[in-house]
Amino acid sequence: MKRLVEIFLRRLGSLLATLVVMSFIIFLLVEIMPGDVAQMILGQSATEESVAALREARGLNDPLLERYGRWISGVVVGDLGESVYMKGVSINSILWRKVGHSVILAMTAFIIFVPLSIFFGVLAGVKEKKPIDSIISFFGLATMALPEFVSGVILITVFAVQLKWFPIVSVLPIGESIWQNLNIVILPALSITLVMFGYISRMQRSSMISVMNSDYIRAATLKGMPRKYVIFRHALKNAMLPTITIIGMNMGWLFGGLVVVETLFGFPGMGSLLMTGIKTRDVPLIEACVLLITIIYSVSTMITDIMYSYLNPRIRFQGGQK
Amino acid sequence: MNDNILEIENLHVRFSTFDGLFSAVNNVSFNLGYNESIGIIGESGCGKSTLAFTIMRYLASNAQVEGAIRFKDKNLLENSEKEMESVRGNRIAMVFQNPYSSLNPSLTIGFQLDEVGMHHQKLNKAKARKATIEALEMMNLGDPKGIVRRYPHQVSGGIQQRICIAMALLCKPDLMILDEPTTALDVTTEAVILDSIAELRDRLSMSMIYISHDIGVINKVSENIVVMYSGEIVESGPKQQIFENPVHPYTRALINCMPRGGVVKEKTKLNTIPGYVKKRGTDEGGCPFADRCDKKNDTCISEYGIKKIEGTHFAACNRAYAEDIPDKLKVRLTPKKRKNDPDFDIEHNLLKLEDVHKVYGTRRKVYAVNGIDFAVKPHSILGIVGESGCGKSTTGHMVSGLFPPSKGRVIFEDTDISIAWNKRNKETLKNIQLIFQNPGRSLNPSHTVEKIIGRTMQKLANINDKNERRKKIIDILRKVDLGKEYLEKKPPQLSGGEQQRVAIARSLSISPNLIVCDEPTSALDVSVQASVLNLLNDLQVDTHVAYLFISHDLNVINYLSDYIMVMYAGKIVEYGKRDEVMENWHHPYTEALLSAVPEVDPTKQKEIIELEGMLPDPTKKVKGCPFAGRCHKQVGEICEKEYPPMVRLSEDHYYFCHIKP
Amino acid sequence: MKYFFYQLKKSPLAIIGIAIIVFWLIAAAVGPSMISYTYTQMDSMNQMVAPGEYGHLLGTDSLGRDILARIVYGSRSILTVALLTSMVSTLLGILLGFSAGYFGGKVDTAFLRTMDILMAIPPLVLSMVILGILGNSSIVSLTIIVSIAFIPATARVSRGVLLTEKSQEYVSAARIRGENHLYIMFVEILPNTTGPIIVEATARFAYSIMMVASLGFLGVGLQPPTPDWGMMVIENKPVIAQAPWTVLFPALAIASLVIAISIFSDFVSKVLIHER
Repeated sequence: MKRLVEIFLRRLGSLLATLVVMSFIIFLLVEIMPGDVAQMILGQSATEESVAALREARGLNDPLLERYGRWISGVVVGDLGESVYMKGVSINSILWRKVGHSVILAMTAFIIFVPLSIFFGVLAGVKEKKPIDSIISFFGLATMALPEFVSGVILITVFAVQLKWFPIVSVLPIGESIWQNLNIVILPALSITLVMFGYISRMQRSSMISVMNSDYIRAATLKGMPRKYVIFRHALKNAMLPTITIIGMNMGWLFGGLVVVETLFGFPGMGSLLMTGIKTRDVPLIEACVLLITIIYSVSTMITDIMYSYLNPRIRFQGGQK
Repeated sequence: MNDNILEIENLHVRFSTFDGLFSAVNNVSFNLGYNESIGIIGESGCGKSTLAFTIMRYLASNAQVEGAIRFKDKNLLENSEKEMESVRGNRIAMVFQNPYSSLNPSLTIGFQLDEVGMHHQKLNKAKARKATIEALEMMNLGDPKGIVRRYPHQVSGGIQQRICIAMALLCKPDLMILDEPTTALDVTTEAVILDSIAELRDRLSMSMIYISHDIGVINKVSENIVVMYSGEIVESGPKQQIFENPVHPYTRALINCMPRGGVVKEKTKLNTIPGYVKKRGTDEGGCPFADRCDKKNDTCISEYGIKKIEGTHFAACNRAYAEDIPDKLKVRLTPKKRKNDPDFDIEHNLLKLEDVHKVYGTRRKVYAVNGIDFAVKPHSILGIVGESGCGKSTTGHMVSGLFPPSKGRVIFEDTDISIAWNKRNKETLKNIQLIFQNPGRSLNPSHTVEKIIGRTMQKLANINDKNERRKKIIDILRKVDLGKEYLEKKPPQLSGGEQQRVAIARSLSISPNLIVCDEPTSALDVSVQASVLNLLNDLQVDTHVAYLFISHDLNVINYLSDYIMVMYAGKIVEYGKRDEVMENWHHPYTEALLSAVPEVDPTKQKEIIELEGMLPDPTKKVKGCPFAGRCHKQVGEICEKEYPPMVRLSEDHYYFCHIKP
Repeated sequence: MKYFFYQLKKSPLAIIGIAIIVFWLIAAAVGPSMISYTYTQMDSMNQMVAPGEYGHLLGTDSLGRDILARIVYGSRSILTVALLTSMVSTLLGILLGFSAGYFGGKVDTAFLRTMDILMAIPPLVLSMVILGILGNSSIVSLTIIVSIAFIPATARVSRGVLLTEKSQEYVSAARIRGENHLYIMFVEILPNTTGPIIVEATARFAYSIMMVASLGFLGVGLQPPTPDWGMMVIENKPVIAQAPWTVLFPALAIASLVIAISIFSDFVSKVLIHER
């Protein structure tokens, strides 16, 4: 247990360090944006004096570090600033609802692809070189690098245009909550699932194969343990350990995928909000969205890391005699 | 009822691969009686492991099996997978070479043993646990209740293997197959395990197949020996007869090639077999050894087959003592004798180490070498012997400059070279060469032999002309018995022995003063090892180079060295002239090490000293004698509290112990 | 090489994959000269024409532009950018990963920390934000940004491969004959790592296509009038109910290319890993 706490604290430390550096980089990135924020707020017709006055008022002439300090100290207490494009609207008031939608979408995808890809990955690994393996492997290979919008378009054509089971666009009617409209989540979630399934099932398959070829599986088989028992009791846990890390590392792809899928379906989430931010050059909005994605992603990799350490006795009980 | 528990009849195992069909086990037949123990001996690739896995019916899908394996009169090859499950681990149990990877890393040791009893004997959890504890106790494992709660990585290699054997014993099997169970372990650990296996045979009625490449090991646990070569049985019979009257030239070569029983370089040159084991296609007939045999004639193809010699002694050849050819293996070869060199200065030290330490790591420290002093005289061979973790390789690597010592000085020809390679000058780099254990990894697989040797010459001997270099490379290749045709070859195309010759040629090509040989023969088969040892000796006599020869194998060290240094846990325990250390040892560890070396001659078995416990934790500094915890002659508390003083017996012989001579 | 063809004969899937890749390469090279329409030409009389009608083999889009022409022209840009990115990111990855792994210690720690931080932003998000902020993406800016986003992945692979080779004794042998670092890294080690690096580069090629197409789809890729497969999808998305082919064909083009490259990469890894 002591060891796990140690790992947790160390990861937490590096997480904080990453976030500090990352937030600064995000801040810098947006700084390089061509054009003047004050000019943008006031519009092209504004006089030079009024632009200069606004710059002064918003502190845009202050040194970089000072502005960063102001921004980050706001972020820490939960003040993400105001949107530039939608004048005077605080980002907090629009962001969190959309984040909620995105989280529902991501969780739906997660709940579908994790068990599915582990199951089929293990199945393919156990039946290596048999027809069922070839089918699963090919399917995984095909979807692994397929952009979400491509699989999304195919899903729309089949399930929305032809079969009309689901809406073509995932727009939320004004005033209704997402819980009343869960059918708009299904197709976007499936598009994300396909990509993740491809990658993770293939990883699961190869780790299952290498475990099945290991000395200790041979030893367990030659102890007379039935094959099913060997697979479930001896192989599965060891073969799933690396998959945990892989899933954690691929949360990044998942968030990238969210942006694409939300844009395709017009889904009211954080991804499409970020896209809007970029198109309207809304600096505080971009900063807030990217920072949030970074935080969610870093925290999820941290969680998988700790899970991995917990499940792996070689890390949990490091030391002792050897 | 049949007298035999296991009868193998005309067994063939073939594998189909990209290169075609090749034969791994070819026409093998033998019987194993109740309570009998058979040792199967052969070099790597001779099919002995495949044979074991065929008995267990555990083969890759590209294998084709033919013949019969009758276990208690039932042909295992006709069993269903379900029936095999009730045989495996229950009636036939198996122990593998590598205990660490054979235990599941994510399950506790107790769980992995309990499940055997629970599955085969339908015991409940508590009864299975009781059986587990009993089995662990039978293997003399102290604190079995603590062990069952641990994970495999928390116990040492020797204990892991004893756990694996205990696991095999759980259902009191009729037959136990042990596949090189001690090969991955140190010699003193091996001795303990072999002893407990022998003890088990006395206590339980159980038949045994013991597979090994080492006749000495097999001698301790089996009465009968089966010799395999290239998938075939070439000789079988009682061990005494096989040792005294080996009939197949391969068996004879195997026995004669090993440096053993006090053979030393001044008196004997080792017998060798040319060539190496080749994979056999299925269409090749006749004696598989014919292409390496000096006694072959036409009948080797036409009249090949197992013949009875006498009693239970069978062999596939009777030409070992054939009169028409002089017996090369019987001939005592005279070794190259060292000429007296007028420049030889006995007082002068070529290499000198002063209080050298090596600590690895910064946060988690590992104390590898903890203060050693010794010297290497010019034109001489110093053999460093010790078990894994004793710091012998680290010492060699510091001398050759792979990394600098953490403390202390390394002095070569009066210059301080306690620095790493990147700070050493060209002269030093040239004068100290290193030969590695694994020739396949020490030669760059994508460079040609010419480039491998040539680059060293260009870099350290400033031979920049390509033609001149090629001429010299051909010269040096000839010295290591390789022809011109090897110039363009790349290491993966060569056999292990040829690779090591290239590595030796590379080191010699720039005439160094000292060659550090780090276990140069331990990755090689016995039949190849002999020729490399002969070569190393001949070259040393010719060129007067000095060797720092590192090995875990006392026989090899004894054969080649002028001086021997025994190391334990990063310290020197004994140092002296070869004969002084081998015959007049004083340190208890030297004694234990010598006693643990398996004896090839079945009549000359000796009492071994069993070492319990394990090496001191290398991450902690040891205050007293590092060997104190395992010593069978410990004198008292002083051993653990105080580092023992040096006891000097003569100018060249000293040891570190609280026991006075 | 002999083993490559031996395996190829046994693997019909790989043959199909290679055929599709070759098809697209040819289409990109000579396709434009064989098509009677250009990618900007608008046939205002024939908007959203179904495939096969009025001489438009794959139909026209909502502005009446020939879809086949746009796909064929679009294959040029996506193949160029994807090839360049996979090469640039692999090369930079080798450079960075090799240096970090070879020198180890503090250099390595610094490298790993930096990569951790870079990886904290998903590559797609990183590239879209930068490209979106910079605006007006060109082949050059697209290649540079996507390559940078891929570096953490490629560098980690190179570093891993180097570390396994670095522990080999031939590296020690080279050191103690006084070779310099560059010689050891690139003359001794590099030739022995080509297998895994080629495998990584081909897989990276597939991911590059995925990324470039996605960026085009998000509107931060190559700007109009240059035809871009991803952009064709989003442009015509509003009319998907009336004219599904307008989005389906570019989507299928992307799918076929990506799947073919994935199959090829999988096959290459099978051949190279077994050959060792």
